[in-house]
Amino acid sequence: MSDRHEHAHLPDTVLRVKALESLLVEKGLVDPAALDTLIETYEHKVGPRNGSRVVARAWSDPDFKQRLLRNASAAIAELGFTGRQGEDMVVLENSEKVHNMVVCTLCSCYPWPVLGLPPVWYKSAPYRARAVIDPRGVLKEFGVELPETTEIRVWDSTAEVRYLVLPMRPRDSEGMDEEALAELVTRDSMIGTGLPLSPSQVPSSK
Amino acid sequence: MNGAHDLGGMHRLGPINPESNEPVFHQEWERRCFALTLACGFLGEWNLDMSRRARERMHPAKYLQTSYYEHWLIGLQTLLVEKGLLTEEEIARRMSEIGKGETS
Amino acid sequence: MRVLRASDVGKVLLKGGPARVDTQVPAKFKPGDEVVTRNMSPEGHTRLPRYARGRRGVVKRHHGVFIFPDTHAANGDKNPQNLYSVCFTARELWGEPASEIDKVNIDLWDDYLDRA
Repeated sequence: MSDRHEHAHLPDTVLRVKALESLLVEKGLVDPAALDTLIETYEHKVGPRNGSRVVARAWSDPDFKQRLLRNASAAIAELGFTGRQGEDMVVLENSEKVHNMVVCTLCSCYPWPVLGLPPVWYKSAPYRARAVIDPRGVLKEFGVELPETTEIRVWDSTAEVRYLVLPMRPRDSEGMDEEALAELVTRDSMIGTGLPLSPSQVPSSK
Repeated sequence: MNGAHDLGGMHRLGPINPESNEPVFHQEWERRCFALTLACGFLGEWNLDMSRRARERMHPAKYLQTSYYEHWLIGLQTLLVEKGLLTEEEIARRMSEIGKGETS
Repeated sequence: MRVLRASDVGKVLLKGGPARVDTQVPAKFKPGDEVVTRNMSPEGHTRLPRYARGRRGVVKRHHGVFIFPDTHAANGDKNPQNLYSVCFTARELWGEPASEIDKVNIDLWDDYLDRA
């Protein structure tokens, strides 16, 4: 559908995307229905809820946690989360002694099957620049302050290995089932720029 | 390549400003650009490392002033043109036609 | 050329594009080895960040054999080699004012590393 008014003042970027799609479809190189399916998948089906389920399972099942730390790709596949940008997973366990935080200084590598597509800040120049040189300053900006004695271990994802942080299980979460535990797991706690919620921060949980 | 993409340790870039309840995509063109990049990658004319290299070849000043999906868009166009799948001229012509409302 | 059809999207995403290569390549290093990264400035693609060139670190983990991005980006040559997680102290990377205990781990291939 063409509408002179609708397209009259579109920014160059919008026009360029439209032009590429229009030409590629015309030449039979791109199936527009495939584009819709790709968008639908990453906008609505894959996201950090997947990772939350992995973490909640690890918190409640010690055998699963062992498998997860030994061979993360296989353990995560048990829950059905595999594929593009998560082919080789490594899980990093946080403790009182070590806090892990993940960045990709060179581009924006991120474990899609468990976290979905990365947020803008993760891909932004300030995060990519500062995470490696000033991790404590970055954490402070996210509202996280760790003791001086806790080692911060930053992981720069320079290869095709994808990292997921296993945060510490919150105190006061005893007796909660896997589903309720998953509600405590935030996206940022699995990147390492945040901590899980405490049960009192989740209204629906007990 | 000693490009602007190699950001580790750079100063003066300002705060990170995380957005709360951020949507997966902010604009429609980002959706299409994301999906086009994946679909074109499937053609098998280039690999993931070549895609990264295409984005890194941007002018450093431009790289720092554009958004993530703009990097993808510029990288995609570079590869499509280099592989002979599209030409700069036909892209420019189609952009102009769409801008004038002559085609959708 | 293969054109991606809507009906194949699920299958294709699930399959992914593994960079791990199922070949045996003798590993130059093992966990615990002290290494130094090469000081280099190639005009082509590389995954050795500038801030970690010519720095000493310790191999912590052997990931296996993976496609080498530098040659893969240049001409499609997979050039499979061993990939390791190498640990650097914040002081080694950023000097005196940096934290005494913080670390940065970086995934690096055989061709980026020499024995320290």
